[in-house]
Amino acid sequence: MANDSPISLTVELGPLRLKNPVMVASGTFGYGQEYAELVPPERLGAMVVKGISLEPRSGNPPPRIWETCGGMLNAIGLQNVGLRAFVEEKLPWLNPLPVPVIVNLFGNTVEEYGKLAAALDGQEGIAGLEINISCPNVKAGGMIFGSDPKMVFQVVSAVRSRTNLPVITKLTPNVTDITVTARAAQDAGTDILSLINTVAGMAVDAQTRQPRLANVVGGLSGPAIKPIALRMVWQVVQVSTVPVIGLGGIVSVEDALEFLIVGAKAIQVGTANFINPGVTLEIIDGLEDYLRQRNLEDINEIIGTLEVP
Amino acid sequence: MLLRNAKILFNNPVSLELYHMALVCPDIAATIQPGQFLMVRIQDRLDPLLRRPFAVHRLYPNDPPGSFEMLYKVVGRGTQLLSNMLAGDSVNLLGPLGRGFRLPEEKGSVLMVAGGIGIAPLPYLAETIAASGCKGPSVLWFGGKNSADLVCVQHFNDLGFTVQLVTEDGSEGRKGLVTGHLEQWLTQQNELPGVIYSCGPYPMQRSVAEMAARLGISSQLSMEALMGCGVGACLSCSLRCRPPEGTQEPHYANVCQDGPVFDGEEIVWDESSS
Ligand SMILES: Cc1cc2nc3c(=O)[nH]c(=O)nc-3n(C[C@H](O)[C@H](O)[C@H](O)COP(=O)(O)OP(=O)(O)OC[C@H]3O[C@@H](n4cnc5c(N)ncnc54)[C@H](O)[C@@H]3O)c2cc1C
Ligand SMILES: Cc1cc2nc3c(=O)[nH]c(=O)nc-3n(C[C@H](O)[C@H](O)[C@H](O)COP(=O)(O)O)c2cc1C
Ligand code: FES
Repeated sequence: MANDSPISLTVELGPLRLKNPVMVASGTFGYGQEYAELVPPERLGAMVVKGISLEPRSGNPPPRIWETCGGMLNAIGLQNVGLRAFVEEKLPWLNPLPVPVIVNLFGNTVEEYGKLAAALDGQEGIAGLEINISCPNVKAGGMIFGSDPKMVFQVVSAVRSRTNLPVITKLTPNVTDITVTARAAQDAGTDILSLINTVAGMAVDAQTRQPRLANVVGGLSGPAIKPIALRMVWQVVQVSTVPVIGLGGIVSVEDALEFLIVGAKAIQVGTANFINPGVTLEIIDGLEDYLRQRNLEDINEIIGTLEVP
Repeated sequence: MLLRNAKILFNNPVSLELYHMALVCPDIAATIQPGQFLMVRIQDRLDPLLRRPFAVHRLYPNDPPGSFEMLYKVVGRGTQLLSNMLAGDSVNLLGPLGRGFRLPEEKGSVLMVAGGIGIAPLPYLAETIAASGCKGPSVLWFGGKNSADLVCVQHFNDLGFTVQLVTEDGSEGRKGLVTGHLEQWLTQQNELPGVIYSCGPYPMQRSVAEMAARLGISSQLSMEALMGCGVGACLSCSLRCRPPEGTQEPHYANVCQDGPVFDGEEIVWDESSS
């Protein structure tokens, strides 16, 4: 990395300004501490921490993951330390870091989302909220919030009305038309959209005839889902008036570039952190190299430049 | 925690399914403790996708400096690919990871129990205990499916261990399951061991922990789980444990971070798991 280079990787996502477009995805980077010895958090564009809920959650019984061809299924069951422990034990470490910290949150009901947003609004050291809408709505018979545009609107409105922080809504790919839920989030006042969360999937052991995951079904992540993610980002970018963060299967600078070219203003790296903990740093350096090789100075010259012949 | 490429010195079959792989990686060798593990990226591609966890089998501080050995069993795609690698090739290591074994009191006697590939982390533990000046008598109970599983017995003999062998098919040592014979043997001892170190399949670990609890012996068990990250970031390697004071049920610990070595009393055993 040449320090004298005039190259700028800075991106603006509405109210959120990042020094580079490379973020880490929720649930794949813990609370930042886990990888801090290998990945200095201040090098990242932003850090999204593990999703939190009002109360601590135990999560699902094991086995919780299964490796598939080019991907992994997970059914962690949203295990997390809960709001109080997050604020008391995790935030004091995160707060002084010179990196925007985005808190991923989820609830069982619309009210819970609102309460969480209100509780986090007053906390120092939080740069934004990311709403995970890929969770069951307990009051609607366990239907996933993110699959119904009306529920998406309600959840995003509940968060929007209780916080002044930038709000990111993280969309689920498990819908027929993702532009519909994207519009619902936008209408409810989200500042930014991020997509995609994991793709619903399943694996079976033919020998024992048992599911590989104790939860039977899980979410697929990793390179296997990249084409789905890229297509959905492309679709959403065309209809959305707010900036989009692209993720799903990114493992290299080429992958990151594909999302940026399609129109994502920033990207998140998830599963790839497990395989190569240094991957985000490699992507940041790789983006600079890519620009330099083309005599470009600003990453924004790449974003949204897909050439459809 | 370090991320390093390590060169393979040799990768030799010990039996049909078991391999010894020696690696050079001085800064990992300098810090890794018995029972800790490494997440190994077998090749620089995306197949298999995830790293695989392996223990350090033996450490060779001087031969050449900073080298150590893994013992692994070919059970699937990742270990199959590992077995095809040659001297001079490299693997990528993330580690040292997790909490290893705590060493015994100076005078206490030591009992180790291994089932199959569960022998992997025990020679390094035994060497460390021997080097720490622990003078108590040491015994290894080692069970396998057949005689091909019972590797590195001579090494334990050299370290002064009494080795008791058990095979399911009776091809070597006693016939049956290691835990059955062990309990009988323990009840005949005048003096019980100060600590049991154990590594093996889940049902064996459960029997050892329950036996240790019945006899009032402390047990340290190295547990397995499917792992995503190895560093506590993904919460996939959960093991049901007793909840700490004031926390909710069920409580899941991370094998990669809170373990892989757990005290037997910490674990809540699941009858249906294997
Ligand atoms: C802390 C720790 C230390 C370990 N140390 C050693 C060691 O020193 N030597 C050794 O041979 N093995 C060790 N293992 C087990 C080893 O990691 C697995 O055998 C290996 O990951 C299998 O990879 P594979 O691609 O060959 O098998 P896969 O194709 O992934 O799976 C084949 C079979 O192996 C099982 N398996 C896969 N991953 C694991 C895992 N992490 N733990 C248990 N079973 C698994 C699967 O359930 C499946 O039945 C250790 C595991 C842990 C958690
Ligand atoms: C183990 C694991 C845990 C995850 N936990 C969360 C979570 O708590 N909240 C969330 O919004 N997404 C969560 N995700 C989804 C990821 O943030 C990401 O959307 C998805 O994995 C796709 O990106 P990838 O292919 O780069 O991993 C999790 C993913 C994995 C693999
Ligand atoms: S393997 Fe990721 S938390 Fe243990």
